[in-house]
Amino acid sequence: MNFRPFAIPVLLTTIALRSACAGDASALSPDDAQFFENKIRPALVKHCYECHSADAKEVGGKLLLDSRDALLTGGEAGTPVIAGKPNESLIIQALRYDGVEMPPEKPVPEAVVNDFVEWVKRGAPYPATASTAAKAGSVNDPESLWAFEPPKNPPIPDVQNKAWPRDSLDHFVLAKIEAAALQPVGAADPRTLARRLHYDLTGVPPSFEEVERFVTDHQQTGVDAVERLVDELLASPQFGERWGRHWLDVARYGESNGNDGLSRNPTFPHAWRYRDYVIAAFNADTPYDRFLTEQIAGDLLPSDSDQQRDRHLVATGFLAMAAKPAKAMNTNFDMDVVADQIDVIGSGVLGVSVACARCHDHKFDPVPTRDYYALAGFFTSSETMWGTAAHEGLTAPKTDLHVLKAAANVPPPEGFVETVLVPESNTGKPKPIPKSKWPVGTPLAMGVRDGKKPADCKLNIKGDAKKLGDAVPRGFLTACRFESENTIEVDPKQSGRRELAQWLTRGDHPLTARVMVNRIWQHLFGAGIVRTPNDFGVYGERPTHPKLLDHLAVRFVDEQWSIKRMIRNIVLSRTYQLSGDADASLTKADSGNLLLTRHQRRRLDAESLRDSMLKVSGQLNLTPADGSIIRHRDILVNLAGNLHQPSNHRSVYLCYLRSSPPPELAAFDLPDFTSVTGQRDVSTVPNQALHLYNNPFVIEQAERLAAVVTKKAEDDEIRLQFAWQQVFARDAMPREIEDTGEYLRVTQNELKSEDKAWNSLCQALLVTNEFRYVD
Amino acid sequence: MAIMNHSRRSMLQSASCGFGYLALQGLCNQQAAAAPSEGLTNRTPPLPARAKRVIFLCMSGGPAQMDTFDYKPQTGKKKHPGSVVRFRQHGDSGLWISELMPETAKHADKLCMINGMYADTGIHAQSFLQLHTGERLRKRPSLGSWINYGLGTENQNLPGFISLNTSKSSIYSSAFLPSIYNGTPIGVNGEDMSAATISNVVGEHLPLAAKRRQLDFVQSLNRKHLQQRPGDDKLDSVIQSMELGFRMQASAPALLDLSDESPETLEKYRVGKKLKIGTCRPTDFGRQCLLARRFAEAGVRFIEINHGGWDQHKNHRRDLKANCDTVDAPTAALLEDLAQRGLLEDTLVVCGGEFGRPGLTPDDGKNETGHNARGFTFWLAGGGAKNGYVHGKTSNTGDRAVEGKVHFRDLHATILHALGLPANDLNFWHEGRAHRLTGPEGGKVVHELFT
Repeated sequence: MNFRPFAIPVLLTTIALRSACAGDASALSPDDAQFFENKIRPALVKHCYECHSADAKEVGGKLLLDSRDALLTGGEAGTPVIAGKPNESLIIQALRYDGVEMPPEKPVPEAVVNDFVEWVKRGAPYPATASTAAKAGSVNDPESLWAFEPPKNPPIPDVQNKAWPRDSLDHFVLAKIEAAALQPVGAADPRTLARRLHYDLTGVPPSFEEVERFVTDHQQTGVDAVERLVDELLASPQFGERWGRHWLDVARYGESNGNDGLSRNPTFPHAWRYRDYVIAAFNADTPYDRFLTEQIAGDLLPSDSDQQRDRHLVATGFLAMAAKPAKAMNTNFDMDVVADQIDVIGSGVLGVSVACARCHDHKFDPVPTRDYYALAGFFTSSETMWGTAAHEGLTAPKTDLHVLKAAANVPPPEGFVETVLVPESNTGKPKPIPKSKWPVGTPLAMGVRDGKKPADCKLNIKGDAKKLGDAVPRGFLTACRFESENTIEVDPKQSGRRELAQWLTRGDHPLTARVMVNRIWQHLFGAGIVRTPNDFGVYGERPTHPKLLDHLAVRFVDEQWSIKRMIRNIVLSRTYQLSGDADASLTKADSGNLLLTRHQRRRLDAESLRDSMLKVSGQLNLTPADGSIIRHRDILVNLAGNLHQPSNHRSVYLCYLRSSPPPELAAFDLPDFTSVTGQRDVSTVPNQALHLYNNPFVIEQAERLAAVVTKKAEDDEIRLQFAWQQVFARDAMPREIEDTGEYLRVTQNELKSEDKAWNSLCQALLVTNEFRYVD
Repeated sequence: MAIMNHSRRSMLQSASCGFGYLALQGLCNQQAAAAPSEGLTNRTPPLPARAKRVIFLCMSGGPAQMDTFDYKPQTGKKKHPGSVVRFRQHGDSGLWISELMPETAKHADKLCMINGMYADTGIHAQSFLQLHTGERLRKRPSLGSWINYGLGTENQNLPGFISLNTSKSSIYSSAFLPSIYNGTPIGVNGEDMSAATISNVVGEHLPLAAKRRQLDFVQSLNRKHLQQRPGDDKLDSVIQSMELGFRMQASAPALLDLSDESPETLEKYRVGKKLKIGTCRPTDFGRQCLLARRFAEAGVRFIEINHGGWDQHKNHRRDLKANCDTVDAPTAALLEDLAQRGLLEDTLVVCGGEFGRPGLTPDDGKNETGHNARGFTFWLAGGGAKNGYVHGKTSNTGDRAVEGKVHFRDLHATILHALGLPANDLNFWHEGRAHRLTGPEGGKVVHELFT
């Protein structure tokens, strides 16, 4: 293989016409820009950047081709381009394999060479790039950085069918449907709508009586009835449990560290306080900007009472939930914790993956490494408090915890003895459990506080904490553009997290509001307007309805970041209330429902399925669970075996141990809670069928339901009618009663037991698609 | 039957171009009443097939090819990156294999090396996803799902795609393909494989006959539910998945139970051997290999087994040896066992990871390696692959593939080809366009790999 870098053949000393070559960006005509972006840049990326870009492992011939300046500077062999003179330009000679041969593996197709000839003829126009990291991002699609521009309030589009829209958001949806010469389906029937609203807003199914009441009300008062129902559901405590759970996915909430890489998994005995904080915040409709501020800088906020102070401190648990790799032999441990904090802000709040920039400028998104360390400074200037890490120093060093003032003391139950002992790593013998630094039962919380010596963070070269570069002043993502340029100054004597929160919650922030309204939309429609909820960057999906997204984002901020208000707006819209039924021609014309011509049928998620089973079996305990089963257990979970206990509380209160999820939920696409989850998978695998057939929880609920049903009456027909109402919130049809009666008789004969026959019937009902899907 | 018709129609619509259509035609010609799970029916591939199933030994983390299978001796006077462990030629074919793989080396004449692999990125998660699905960033159907979509399953009582000791579900997801082609995980994320089973596969609250009657009743309700919601493929998939789950109750427990294997076999596979050194974590690779053989024998179409830990950045020599010790004997046992049982003829064994590593320079005292996606090694065995053959090569320093370059999309095309599936024509209509495993660029079948 002939492998000759640019420098070898002739030491060209040609001086390029700097003024003519690659003139300044303002001089770039749209046509030239388009030509460059469509023809030249893709070819540069594909054929040249591997060796001739700042990201290249070894830069060939000291020549960079990844920016206008670099092109002007040239390499060892001089400047590659002489504007207007392709035959004299080294780059063209090289591409033609004329003396120099580039790229070395094989020549590029002739068409590409011709494009470069044309480009040089045009004077080698090369757009100036705002950020060096953005170069790959704008390869094929100059609009790929849309999300970094602030949302502008778009005008409400006109529609032909003026009677259709109910909310301004409907205009945006209908305009697109009409543009495609299609029509949306009709409205969902009230029964379907009631069930949909109950699940979407509370995660618990309505009772038969609730549905009947709504149907009657709807017949009489129409949309007013819907409004009343929506307001009632938004005000119910179950709302916060449902929507709090969505946020806990984003916050990678877990009650243990997860496997640290050395098969150790210490509990977070106080994490549940953060869970309760989140649920309460959603129920109180804490404005989203405030909600974020409390989680990022709660410890720095003034408070009027001990209760408020406690709440602020608990909120910072958001930053302390990292699934940390072991400390042992890990010189990067502290920066691993910071990486998690940056990721939860990046993917979770901003919808941009900043994490890659820890080691190198982001390949696709405009996030240079300096931005990463500018953000890192906020967290290296803070102390992260996860607790004792089960007294296992190899996993993580012990830290302090927030001591709460207003919260009640919670001593362990009488006679409680911690049975799991940590073995000495050298001898394997159990070592004594160290005495806690706080009196037994002291209310504690995970979280962050400012460090003793706030300072800017030094750049870690290639992500290695031992190879330090310059300190990068604390700051924010440079790619974000704002309406107004009132910059936020970081006080160097503090961590600066308050300023970070201030920056994130600017009303004109291009990302924060968009990302959150998109999450809300996704939970109500099954898919976001941007279908990659954690990635609004270059490689994320483009919004299906960009203007709708901006409309909602602007409205969200105008309406004081009220989540309940936003949900209310959306669920009262015509679009949300569409039926899920569509004929084949519409399904084909709007495949994937990108135009929102219909509602998307959805499977119950793990929590809702369990809660629904408990509800219809009469077992659901709607009072919030008190604390967590591990609240007194500072232990390594992997040594403790399965700690889960049966519970009748809502699923959100189960113990979300990482690497050891609650068995009642595990089959239905539970995330691992180690990083931000924007959207759960919805898989259909036979393991789920096996769960429904054989899991003890399901069998128990079936038995409970059977007991309730058979107690109701002696007559099988009445029992069956009741069972249908209980499980499906509707009356059984005569044919269903008949078929089921037959099933019962045969099964009873076979099993020689009336009870078992009813148990098996009730299990069957809980397993059906009608029960497990929401139209 | 209305459901069946519906399902076939919707699949025809969704697969109305390319091979999907052909597959469906073949499918429709079969007895439609055979099973509710027609999507799983065993289908004859359109091209001559060398293999009927695949066992993929997935080595995540980026195995160091230059110290295992791609021998890079020093050339010239100045020391350059290359192999830092001893290599020897093995078998009649004289394949160069490192001293770290002594047992696998005994089967050199069964191996077909691909030394010119290259990938798009050295980012683990992205390349690992691309290795499985052809796509780096978006969730797409996994190789095993595509194969089951094309061929159905040989055993109606087991999933056609099993992923052992697996990681994220995106690795074994059917994505937009019907969910019935989703992989079934056994043991997730480093869970102890000796205890790994299929959860809830056993339940004794009802005798099997009563369970069957119960399921029939459920399915009758599900079908009525679906009739009122025509066109919903997801609901249809659930109905099929419920059937498969039911049948698994009868067949899977016995397959997972190794107590009928002789002590010699267990020893040969090193079942239960758990090395824990540096990046090498215990994965009970022997148990995985033995399970893979049992699943292959039972007719599972695509079995993936996993050993992570090849990302030995720091203690290269120590950790690489630990990783090789973990996989070497079990791999050899698997090859031998498959051959003895006549299964190797129509089972394609594929081994490799998301990329490779740059070589160390001998004697310079360094023991750290990074990632290299520009040149690395995969090997094939069985399923019509050439014996003791080497395809492609990397440069003298092993830093990049220079001859016989094979991208993941080419590897995918080649694996599908071995199974009689035309990779670039096996597609599925989704969101307004046809998708295929090999992506817009398509994959090139490496015909030279086959006899």
